[in-house]
Amino acid sequence: MPPVRANTLNPPAARSRPRSRSWWRKQVGLLFVLPSVAFTAVFFLAPLVMTAWMSLHDWPLLGARHFTGLQNYAALLSDGNFWSSLGFTAKYTLVVTPVLFVLAFGLALLVKRSVRWVGLFRTAYFLPVVIGLATSSLLWVWLLNDQVGVFNAGLAAIGVIREPFQWLATTGSALTAIVVMVTWKMVGLTMLLLLIGMQAIPEEFYEAARVDGASPWEQLRFITLPLMRRTFALALVLSVIGSFLAFDPMYIMAGGGPQNSTITTVYWIFKAAFVQFRLGYAASLSVVLLVILIAVSVVQLYLLRDDTRY
Amino acid sequence: MLGRRSVTTALAAGMLVSGAAGAKTIDFWIRAYNAGLAEPLVKAYNASHTDQVKLNLVPNDQFVTKLGTAIAGGNPPDVIAIDLIYVPSFAAAGQMENLTAQAKKLPFFNQLSPSHVRLATYQNQVYAVPFSAEGSVLYYNKGLFRQAGLDPNKPPRTWTEVYNAAKKITALGNGVKGFYFSGACAGCNAFTFMPLIWASGGDVLSRDGQSATLNTKAVKDALGFYRRMWTEGLVPSGAQTDNGANFINAFTSGKIGMTGSGAFAISLLKSKFKNIDFGIAYLPGQTSGWSSFAGGDSIGIPKGSKNVKEAWDFIQWTLSPQVQTEILAKNDTIPVRADLAQNKYSKTEPRFVTTSTAMAKGRTPYSVHYNELFNDANGPWLSMFQRAVFKGEIDQAVTEAQSRFTQILSTPAPGAR
Amino acid sequence: MRAHPLPAHPLPRRRRAATVNTLYYALCVLLVAVFLFPILWSALTSLKPPSEAAATPPTLWPSHLVLDNYATLAGYGAGLVRYVGNSLLVAVITIVLTSILSLLGGYGFSRFQFVGRNVLFVVMLATLMIPFQSILTPLYLILRAIHLQDTLLGLALVYTTFQLPFAIFVMRNSFDSVPREIEEAALIDGCSSVTLLTRVMFPVVLPGVVTVALFAFFGSWNEFLAALIFLNDSDKYTLPVMLLNVQSGLYGSVDWGAVQAGMMLSMLPCIALFLFLQRYYLSGLTQGAVK
Repeated sequence: MPPVRANTLNPPAARSRPRSRSWWRKQVGLLFVLPSVAFTAVFFLAPLVMTAWMSLHDWPLLGARHFTGLQNYAALLSDGNFWSSLGFTAKYTLVVTPVLFVLAFGLALLVKRSVRWVGLFRTAYFLPVVIGLATSSLLWVWLLNDQVGVFNAGLAAIGVIREPFQWLATTGSALTAIVVMVTWKMVGLTMLLLLIGMQAIPEEFYEAARVDGASPWEQLRFITLPLMRRTFALALVLSVIGSFLAFDPMYIMAGGGPQNSTITTVYWIFKAAFVQFRLGYAASLSVVLLVILIAVSVVQLYLLRDDTRY
Repeated sequence: MLGRRSVTTALAAGMLVSGAAGAKTIDFWIRAYNAGLAEPLVKAYNASHTDQVKLNLVPNDQFVTKLGTAIAGGNPPDVIAIDLIYVPSFAAAGQMENLTAQAKKLPFFNQLSPSHVRLATYQNQVYAVPFSAEGSVLYYNKGLFRQAGLDPNKPPRTWTEVYNAAKKITALGNGVKGFYFSGACAGCNAFTFMPLIWASGGDVLSRDGQSATLNTKAVKDALGFYRRMWTEGLVPSGAQTDNGANFINAFTSGKIGMTGSGAFAISLLKSKFKNIDFGIAYLPGQTSGWSSFAGGDSIGIPKGSKNVKEAWDFIQWTLSPQVQTEILAKNDTIPVRADLAQNKYSKTEPRFVTTSTAMAKGRTPYSVHYNELFNDANGPWLSMFQRAVFKGEIDQAVTEAQSRFTQILSTPAPGAR
Repeated sequence: MRAHPLPAHPLPRRRRAATVNTLYYALCVLLVAVFLFPILWSALTSLKPPSEAAATPPTLWPSHLVLDNYATLAGYGAGLVRYVGNSLLVAVITIVLTSILSLLGGYGFSRFQFVGRNVLFVVMLATLMIPFQSILTPLYLILRAIHLQDTLLGLALVYTTFQLPFAIFVMRNSFDSVPREIEEAALIDGCSSVTLLTRVMFPVVLPGVVTVALFAFFGSWNEFLAALIFLNDSDKYTLPVMLLNVQSGLYGSVDWGAVQAGMMLSMLPCIALFLFLQRYYLSGLTQGAVK
């Protein structure tokens, strides 16, 4: 199911054979995928090629541009802002991913049972997923606000805190606030993906295990987890890509603060392009980020490759 | 212009017809926060002219992003009103129409707000004229002054007096604090904190805008003054993370003794917070003097506009006495012409005299890198402010900012060669 | 999602089971509260009088429920109806295009071993990895070149492209889960590929289409940055861009009540559609995510 599959190339001998009728019939598929491919080509690949082209220029948002070859890439290697943004992006990904998966897995186990009201629970946990990321970032900025925020007021009312807690004052608490918001919003989707994976495991496996006297823990360890590899791989790759491209929460919630400690790479790209007007440089950052992302995704898929068939 | 048809047909038409034909339509972009000022103005213009102005409100924080993209894409608006500090960088990038000839022909050219004109001038050529004016001043809550045993008609005139008043007001307790600033808002602190430096004889940039002048006693003392009020709890803890959302909201809660703000807050307080008895004073220097940040918007024509002549007609009209008096002054906005500063509306509100004087004598840093230096939430100006005020590392903060400023100032202006 | 009767436990374990059950339900209900509270609190605030919505500290219960905040929004700029209409139009075009394209594409990728199939599929999915913020300027130039800059149609085309990778992925898997026998039977009856797709397969993969359509709606309804950059005419702004204007409001004075009302407007359609279609959506994801 993961898209990256080992693809055995046709041996050259096969190419020289005359095209059979069934071969032509197979090519009909191209017609079906053509519209989607055309869209992707015009609105994704073309901009990407342009981005690569721009990255070889000193290309100000305003004014004249000049070809500079690989200068942008050389500059980026010594750009402390870029490296620290990459560091924060990695840190954020490493924090948010386990939190998301542990909680999502717990929730999935919780709502896996077929009991009364369980549908309602699933729906409730999933509901934040349908809200936009920008909207939910704004929602949480407001919830955590020291003046009008309900959390500080609630904590003050029950006497836990005396002064409002400043969520965005330190790097640690700002990161925590962002992770809490993202978890609240995204955990339902991961839960659902995991749940679907769980439900695909044939019930007989568990019955057989129970007959053998396996404890619930052993069932989890030896049946559920191994057989959910593929689902995990899919959910993990999607979630890591999402974390690596994170922008809205940091932009809206923390504005990159305090002291620029929550600037992700995409945020830095955005700033290079639209605050400093350096489109060429921003383009070179984008290209590097894309290469890193592809590498990270390939590694993940390789580590989670799955040869079991059932 | 689309008539009042059903929304869907109007939309369908809007989608199919790009670019209206017929009478000249002047595409006018402003920051959303100027909507209250620009809407009546555009309405009045369209009612009395054949050329029609189409007003576009752009979200404040994304204005430059959006404008830059439109210019880069060869599709700029005809007229823009931008924060006056951006004009040098847009002019340096060759993105503004040169308006020198037309502007100098105006009989009242030397009456225009000096700060606006200075910022709109790049290499002795004029690229914009003033559109709206704003000056920073000190707001103080007379009610709290009375409660704290202070004279409500004698606002503080030195930092020591500000500090003492803040201490007495904070002592009232009950969540009341003496002073407020938005600690995570770069622009707010340029607007209200920089004047404290100026009034004490310091500056942040050299007069020509080519070098940084942060490593001075005036800058460090000003930071130390804020630091002292912060550590002694005279400022609410929320100030540290306020990105500007509470810039004036804090004062309107009635629990803040003093805060820096601009003329725009007068009408807001008068209309929505009638219970707050407030006074306006100048932002004081360390031991004497005062200063103000002359802000506001400048109006100009981006390169690539297809209606330069019509655009200028509109701009010229916005500077006419009836607009400045009957639209701006009437709506509690400072006129941008010194010869119109005293008018029948300003007489009814003495507090406006303070703000217009502040504006007229106010200063504005001049730099083609203004955005990167001062306005960027992640830029060196705010970093210095936060590190000094909230961490107390004043010397290190100033040294670091001085070197980051110097590095940014040494790069060529964006787009200029 | 229907409840199945639990197998009856032998008697001695019943009490323990009851305790476990009570704990289970307590935990689930507590979690429901955690997930729903932010949304409900925002809804409540949007119905408070403006002064109470901005109160410090926040008031618990409104003195009376009013629609003032919504009225504030309604009169903003070119009028709320216009912005919501723009958003709806963009969403509808995006949904229709995404559904049709992914239906065709999913079928093609699932059922035909054409040359370059895997490469094309991987390229489609790899577009998920491009930070779209970084291709905004090239996209703007492309839209201008095809005369679709500053049009809602152009925006919808861009949104459709954003949605395609996920949509194609889901639809391909949906088709993969359709038994081959159905097709073979139809082919023996002499159906053409197109008839087969519309008459025979479509009903089976309908849940997948609903999933794709819902995602397309969520994506296009909530996006603000591209909408802001590509639309010059503020009469064409979509709801999120207009709300951005409301949030930035007057310098340093945010109308919290209006902001919450705006948030409700962006959330409610998404929530309503999801609740209405969740049955399809779940089976669509099941079909689409697992082969």
